[in-house]
Amino acid sequence: MIGETRFDLIDRLIAEQQYLSAVERFAQKHEQTNLPLQAKYYRDLIPLTKPGKGQQYSFEVDLDRCTGCKACVSACHSLNGLEENETWRDVGLIVGELDGQAYQQNVTTACHHCLEPGCLEGCPVMAYQKESETGIVRHLDDQCIGCQYCTMKCPYDVPKYSERLGIVRKCDLCHDRLVAGEAPACVQACPHEAIRIRIIDQEEISQQATANGRMLPGAFDSSYTKPATRFVSKKTIPPDAEAANAHALTLQPAHWPLLVMLVLTQAAVGIYTALTAMELLNIELVSRIKLPVIAFGFTLLNLGLAAAVLHLGRPLGAWRFFLGLRTSWMSREILAFGLCAGLSFLATVVAWLVSASPGGLPLMVAASLSGLVAIFTSAMIYVDTRRQFWNPQRVFGKFYGTMLLLGTAGTATFGAWLGANSLAGTMGLTALVIQAALFLWEMSGYHRDLRNRNRPNYQSAMTVVRLLPWFAPVRIGLFLLAALLLLANCFDYLGQSAAWATVAFVALLASQFIERFVFFTAVIPLRMPGGI
Amino acid sequence: MAAPEPPKLENQSLPPSSLLRARTGPLTEDLVREPGRFGLGQTPVRLVPDATTTMVCGFCSTGCGLSIHMKDGQAINLSPDSEYPVNLGMACPKGWEALTPLDAPDRATTPLLRNREGKLEPVDWERALFLFCERFKEIKARHGPESVAFLSTGQITTEEMAFLGSLFKFGMGFIHCDSNTRQCMATAHVAYKQSFGFDAPPFTYADFEESDVLIFIGSNPCIAHPIMWQRVMRNPHHPEIVVVDPRRTETAMAATQHYSIRPKSDLILLYGLANLLIQRGAVNRDFVLAHTTGFPEFTRFVEEYPPEVVTLATGISVEQLDRLADTIASGERVSFWWTMGVNQGHESTRTAQAIINLALMTGNIGRPGTGANSITGQCNAMGSRLFANITSLIGGHDATCKEDRAKIASILSLNESVIPQQRAMAYDEIVQAINKGRIKGLWIIATNSSASWIHQRQFNEIIAKLDFLVVQDLYHTTATAQRADLVLPAAGWGEKEGTFINSERRIGLVKKVHRAPGQALSDFHIFQLIAHYWGCSDKFKRWTSPEAVFHLLKDISRNQPCDITGIEDYRMLDEQGGVQWPFPERINRSEEQPDQNKKEVSFSKERRLFEDGKFFTEDGRARFLFSLPREMPEKPDDDFPFLLLTGRGTSLQWHTNTRTEKSDVLRKLYPKQCYVEINPEDAQRLGIRVNAIVSIASRRAKITARAFITPTVQPGQVFIPMHYPKVNELTFPAFDQHSRQPSYKASAVRISRSEG
Repeated sequence: MIGETRFDLIDRLIAEQQYLSAVERFAQKHEQTNLPLQAKYYRDLIPLTKPGKGQQYSFEVDLDRCTGCKACVSACHSLNGLEENETWRDVGLIVGELDGQAYQQNVTTACHHCLEPGCLEGCPVMAYQKESETGIVRHLDDQCIGCQYCTMKCPYDVPKYSERLGIVRKCDLCHDRLVAGEAPACVQACPHEAIRIRIIDQEEISQQATANGRMLPGAFDSSYTKPATRFVSKKTIPPDAEAANAHALTLQPAHWPLLVMLVLTQAAVGIYTALTAMELLNIELVSRIKLPVIAFGFTLLNLGLAAAVLHLGRPLGAWRFFLGLRTSWMSREILAFGLCAGLSFLATVVAWLVSASPGGLPLMVAASLSGLVAIFTSAMIYVDTRRQFWNPQRVFGKFYGTMLLLGTAGTATFGAWLGANSLAGTMGLTALVIQAALFLWEMSGYHRDLRNRNRPNYQSAMTVVRLLPWFAPVRIGLFLLAALLLLANCFDYLGQSAAWATVAFVALLASQFIERFVFFTAVIPLRMPGGI
Repeated sequence: MAAPEPPKLENQSLPPSSLLRARTGPLTEDLVREPGRFGLGQTPVRLVPDATTTMVCGFCSTGCGLSIHMKDGQAINLSPDSEYPVNLGMACPKGWEALTPLDAPDRATTPLLRNREGKLEPVDWERALFLFCERFKEIKARHGPESVAFLSTGQITTEEMAFLGSLFKFGMGFIHCDSNTRQCMATAHVAYKQSFGFDAPPFTYADFEESDVLIFIGSNPCIAHPIMWQRVMRNPHHPEIVVVDPRRTETAMAATQHYSIRPKSDLILLYGLANLLIQRGAVNRDFVLAHTTGFPEFTRFVEEYPPEVVTLATGISVEQLDRLADTIASGERVSFWWTMGVNQGHESTRTAQAIINLALMTGNIGRPGTGANSITGQCNAMGSRLFANITSLIGGHDATCKEDRAKIASILSLNESVIPQQRAMAYDEIVQAINKGRIKGLWIIATNSSASWIHQRQFNEIIAKLDFLVVQDLYHTTATAQRADLVLPAAGWGEKEGTFINSERRIGLVKKVHRAPGQALSDFHIFQLIAHYWGCSDKFKRWTSPEAVFHLLKDISRNQPCDITGIEDYRMLDEQGGVQWPFPERINRSEEQPDQNKKEVSFSKERRLFEDGKFFTEDGRARFLFSLPREMPEKPDDDFPFLLLTGRGTSLQWHTNTRTEKSDVLRKLYPKQCYVEINPEDAQRLGIRVNAIVSIASRRAKITARAFITPTVQPGQVFIPMHYPKVNELTFPAFDQHSRQPSYKASAVRISRSEG
C-alpha cells in the first residue's frame, strides 16, 4: 500500500474484488467422485427394486416428521433447474383443535402420480403419459400446447403454467434419478426424512381411494383421480381440522381469451338457434333478417374461436387435438366447434348465394344443433373439473342461459333495424323474460350462498362480495338498463327502437362478459391444503 | 463409499418420439438432468459444474456447509455439503437460495450521496471516502471522540469485524460502538461470561443426538433452526422433548411435553424447578461441591419458589410442574437449549443463568448430550462476541486490564495508549445519546436498524437528528439506507473471504464465488480504504488480507479460552469442515499422533467444553447467579389488554427480510401480508372473523394485519411474526439491565376489527 496513490488503491481493490479466487485457492475435493455422496442419507428412503406388475412408485410423507421448513420446495427448485419463480412442491398447513390444544400440521405435497390422473384425462393432445413401468405421470413438454386445462383438471393444483415457456410443467418424480438409484430432490433434501419413495400396489391405491375419501382435510375426494401419495402419522388428525387457507379469499385468473370465447360462441349459437326456431315456426318477416343475422352469428363465432387460440401458449401443436377425444372434453369441444363453424359457414354461403335453396333450413338446423352440442362440450370442460362453483346446474344454466339471452336479444336487434317490428317485439319480450329469469336465478343463488357459511359456494360468494364489490351494482345497473330498454321497445315507447335495441344488446353482452369474469375469478380451485 | 446395488431401470419407460407425440425437443431438453461429478448426483444439464467448493452459509448461526457448484470460476448453483459435520447434507430453504439475493436489481453498485434535493445520487469512491473522513473528523474535532458511533452486525466475517472495531477505536480514535448482536446474543454472552468466566457455549451439535431429555426454552428450532432440529430427529434414544413456550409452536407440536407458561414467567418457573429438584434430592452434590460456588445461597433463595407460587405465576398446574421436574431428575443426559424467547426479555440474563443453574446443579454439563446451551442467532454472532472489539477488548480481553492492553498492543504493533479503557455504550445507550445530541455521527454496517430496532418510530425520529449518517450495505433500498446521507456499496457473503463462528463454536470459511456488482467492495476492502483515507493505514500495515488478519486473531487468541493457535490456515479450515474453538497448538499437535487406544475418531469434528469440570473463572468454578424476578415493564391493562408476542413465523425469512425477499422461491413460500395470531375465544368476543383485517395498537403506534384465528396463542395474547416491517412500531423499549438486550416479546396492545 505504501507509495500507492489513493486512486491506485481504489482501482486495485476494485480489481481485486472482481477476481474470484475460490477455485484456485482451495483444494478440489471429490473431483473424481462419481457416486453421489448424499446417498448415505437417502439410501433407506428409496426402494431397492423397481415396481413390479400392477405396482408403481409413490411418495410417502411422514407427517410427524414434517415441520414446515420447506427445504424440499427449494431443493426441488434448485436441483431440477426450474425457472426463478417455478416450484413443483408446496407446503401447506392444517389447523384445528385437539383436546383443547392447538393442532397444526405442516404438509409437504407434490404431484401424487395418480392412478387416473385428471391432468392426463383432460389433456387434448396427450401431453401426459403414465409410465407403464413406474406409474410416474410424465408431462411431455414438447407435446404441450399450453391450453392450461390440466391446471384446472388436477384437483391438487399440481401442473404449473409458465408464461415464458408457454407450457405447463410438473413434478416428474425425478424419474431419471430413480433410474440411476438416486433419490428425488425432495427426498434427498428433507432434513427430517419426512419424504420417502415407496412401491405401492395399484390395487391398493384403488381400494384406499374409495375407502378413505380424502388424503387430508381440505384435499379433494380421492376417488376422482386415485392419488398414489400416502400421508402417514401416529397422531390423530382432529375431525374439525381444516386447511389454513380454507377461508382465504383470492381471485383466480380471468382467462380473458376463454371468457371472450365462451360469451361470443354462445351468442353466435343463440343467434343461429333463434333464427332456426323462427324459421321452423314460420315467423313473419324472418327472411328479411336471415342473411345479416347468419353473417353476424358467423362473425361472432369466429371471433370467439380466434380468441380461444390466444389462450394457447403454443398453438402450433393444436392440430393434434383429436388425440384426446377419448377422454378430454377440451378435444371434444374443439371438434364440436370445428363442426359448428363448418356447418355455419355452409349455411352462410347458402343463405347468401342461393337464398331460396331448400338446403338452407336443414343446414341451419344442423349448424344450430352442432352449436348446442358444442356449448354442451364447453360446459362439460368446466363441470368436469369438479370445482363446486362450476357445478353442472350453474354451468349449464349460465352457458345455455347466455345463449338464449344473447340469441333472442341479438335477433331482436336485427329485427328492429331491418323493419321486422313484430319479430323484434316478440324476440325482445322473450329476451326480457330470459334476462329476468337468469338474473333472478343467479342473484338469488349468491344470496342463498352468502347466508349460510356451510353452503359449498359460500366462499365463492364471499369472494364476489369482498374482492369484486363493483360486481353487484354494475350488473344490476346493466340489468335495469337493458330491461327498461327492452320493455320500452315492446311498447314502442321511446321511438327509434333499433338504436335502443342495440344499446340493450350491448348492455346484455357486457353484462354476460362480467358474469363470465366472475365465473372464472371467483371459482375456488381444488388444491391441497395451503398456508396462512 | 460403496453404494448398495442401485435399482436399475431401463430408461425406456416412454416410447420414442413420433409425429403425433413429441417426446423430445428443446422444451424437454431444458429439464434434462445428467450425472454430476464431484459426488453431486444428477444435476440439470444447464447447471453442470466444472468445480465445486464448500463454504459456510451466511444466514443463521447453525453454520451449514454449502457445496457451491462452480462454472468458469463463478457460482451457478449450490447444494448442501454431504460431509460437512454441521448439516450432514441438508440445508433450510434460505441456504438453498443463498446465491439468489446477490443478483437482486437493487444492489448498491456505487457509493451514493444525498444531494441538495434530498435524493441519493451516485458518486465515486474517491469522493465518498473523502467525505466520510472529512465529516466524521469535523464532528470529532468539534464534539470529541464520543460523538461518532457505529452500529454493526453479526453478518460480516470475523476478520472484518476485527478490522472495523480496531480501525474505529485504535485508528480513528472513537469509543462508542455496538452491533445488532445486542438484539440477539448479548444475553447469552453476559450470562456465560458471568457464570462460566468466559462467553463459552459449551455444546456441540452431536449433543442433540445424545441427550435422553432435551429441554427447549423460548426456542422454536423447527422453524428457526431446521438443521438443528434435524439433529434432534436423528437422536436414537427416543428422548423426551420438552418445550417451554407460551405459544404452541411447530416445535411444541413435535415435542413430547409442552408447557405453555405465561409470557415472561420463565424465571419463576426455573427457580421453582430448581427448588423442586433440590427437594427431591436430584442434585449432583459431587459436581456442585467440586466445580461450583454459590449453591447454598441459591438453595436458600429458591425456597421462596414453592409450587404454589410457581403455579400462580406461570399458569401451569402443580402436576405439570412435578412432571417436568421428574423428567429432568430422571434424565441421564439432559440438555437445556434456549433461544430468543429467553434472550429477548427484561430479565433475560438471569433467566439464562437460571437455565445454567439447572444444568450445573444436576451435573448436566461437560458430558455428551448435556449442557446449558444457547442457540445463537446470526451466522457470525460468535465472531462478533469474541473478536469485534466492541464490549470487550478484541479476543475476549479486558480493556481495563493493563496486561491485556499490553498483549494486544504488542501483537498489533500499536501504542498501548490508543486502546480506550472506557466502556463502549450499548445500542440503546447510543440511540439515547443521539437523542440527547451527544452523538452526532453514525456509521451503520450491514444491519437494518430502521426496521429492526425496538420502538421503531422513535428510533427513526432520533436518527433524523444526526449530522451525518453513513450506511454500508448490499442494498440501497433498505429502510436504513434510505435515510442515509452516504451509502457505501458492500459486497456480500459469497463475494469475499473470511470466517464465521457458529453456535457450536465452529469456525467455518466463507469464499469468493460470486462477482460483486459494479463497484461494490467487501467490507474488508472498505475498511482498508477508510484506514488509508483517514490517514491511519500505518497502524494496519499487516491487515492486508482476511487471511492475514486471521493469523493476527490467532495470535490474539493465544492462552485465551478461545485459543485457536492450532489452526494452521484457511486451507485447514476448508479441509477439516471447520474447526471448533478452542483449538490451541497443543491439540493440533496431539492429533498428529493419535492415541490408538482412544476411539475418539470424531475428536476434532465434535468437541464440547468443560469435560474436566474446569470453568474459565479464576477459581475454575462456575457461579450460581440469581436475583429477584421483576414485573414485566409494560403489562396488559384495561386500555391495552393484550400481550403482543413477536417471533419467527417461517423459516423463509431472515432479519428484516432485506435479503430473503429477493428470492422468488422464498417469497412464494411465506405469507405476503402481515398476520396476527388470535385465540378463538378472543376473536369471538371481539367479533373478529377468520382473515378479517384487524388493527393492533400499542401506546406507540397502530398497525393492521390479517386475523389468523388459532389456539396456538393463549387467550389474552397475540402473536405477529417479526419480519413484517411495521411490527417494531408496536414494541415496547424495555431492556435487560445486565445485557442491555431489548425485550421484543412483551408489549401491551389492544386489537379491534378494522374496516376494509
